[in-house]
Amino acid sequence: MAKKVLNVEDDIDTRTFVSAVIERNGYTPILAKDGEEGMKKIAEEKPDLIILDILMPKQSGIKMYHELKLDPSLKDIPVIMLSAVSKRTFLRSQEALTEFGDETVPEPQAYLEKPVEPEDLAEILKKVLG
Amino acid sequence: MKITKILFVSEFEELWLDALQSLMGLRKAGLNHVVFLHVIHRDKVAMRRGTGYLKQEERKLREIADIRFIDWAETLFEEGMEVGAHIAVGNTVPKVLSVAEDEGVDLIVTARRKRSKLEELYSGSETSELLRRTVRPVLIYNYISQSGKVGENPFERLLLGLDWSESSEKVLDFVLALKGTVKRVDLMHVLSEKAIGKLSKLEVQKVEREHKRRLDEVCDVLTKERIDARPHLYIGNTEEQIEKGASEHRVTMIVVGMKSKGIWKERWSGSVSYALAERSDLPILVIPAGV
Repeated sequence: MAKKVLNVEDDIDTRTFVSAVIERNGYTPILAKDGEEGMKKIAEEKPDLIILDILMPKQSGIKMYHELKLDPSLKDIPVIMLSAVSKRTFLRSQEALTEFGDETVPEPQAYLEKPVEPEDLAEILKKVLG
Repeated sequence: MKITKILFVSEFEELWLDALQSLMGLRKAGLNHVVFLHVIHRDKVAMRRGTGYLKQEERKLREIADIRFIDWAETLFEEGMEVGAHIAVGNTVPKVLSVAEDEGVDLIVTARRKRSKLEELYSGSETSELLRRTVRPVLIYNYISQSGKVGENPFERLLLGLDWSESSEKVLDFVLALKGTVKRVDLMHVLSEKAIGKLSKLEVQKVEREHKRRLDEVCDVLTKERIDARPHLYIGNTEEQIEKGASEHRVTMIVVGMKSKGIWKERWSGSVSYALAERSDLPILVIPAGV
């Protein structure tokens, strides 16, 4: 059975593009349009990998990532960040959340800044999922 | 009543990141989530003869908004805030209302919005329409006023216009929820000349004493919460006197309640909250009665 990749992304064009890359590489795409829906899909579908945008309505990828990594049942799901927000900001935001009392969380499996080339995304998918 | 999540509506002409950052004093009152909204007016991308719907233009405008929001979001994310963004095409007021509802925000922050004279005659300004239709507090944030920029924290010195109605109670509740952010509150009740015109001197003094007593009671409530509060009783046209009081006491924001009136009554008879929202140079926070 093909491995499942959850793509959490609010922009429909990027969602379509990422979904096509996932499918073309033999995996099953699952789509969510914001962090809130993403968390629901994780509970329902138990994906093998999550590709996560940052700036989205309802719940950002920053908060979602933090929640995932603090949840013992979800923290081992690998996450690839795919966003126009810089990696520096992402790392600083995770530090800032830690300052507010949360535990430190590990860095994501990969951090890709938009726009991403399909070959680069495919390579990372293979590296993480095998 | 808490303010943990705000909707910041920007057309990139009036409210920028510095305006948003001046609201960060609200973090002391629990603010931890900012939602950005930019509405691309339908007429900017509407069908044109020979070209059809301007899809390319819409894409460009979305991209511009996206780049700006990412820059603003990066600043807030690094401070540990939660940030969301919406970019939509359509009419501003319905989009503001639907995003506010979807996101469950506690406060809508927007600049004053005008329409053409003709449109305003029939449907009022966008500001009035928003105030008429929303059930959430709205901050009409005139960040760059004629007298220059508003101070670092617009919530620092508030003028509360109280008329002892249900909406006045809501105003007080809201201000109490801002504990930690607000340093001083000037409480104001305005007596109308008409109401006291036919009374004897003794009766006027009685009315005056009664309102002062009520103002003192509210002062005590605020003082208990360690907010410095001063009572003021003015006489005259409510809207004019509130503006006068705001200037005399150098407040940074005016807070008023809003009673629900019928749409036509509201438009033709006017109301203090609408008039201040349309005219005042200072930021105006309007709290609906049903909040």
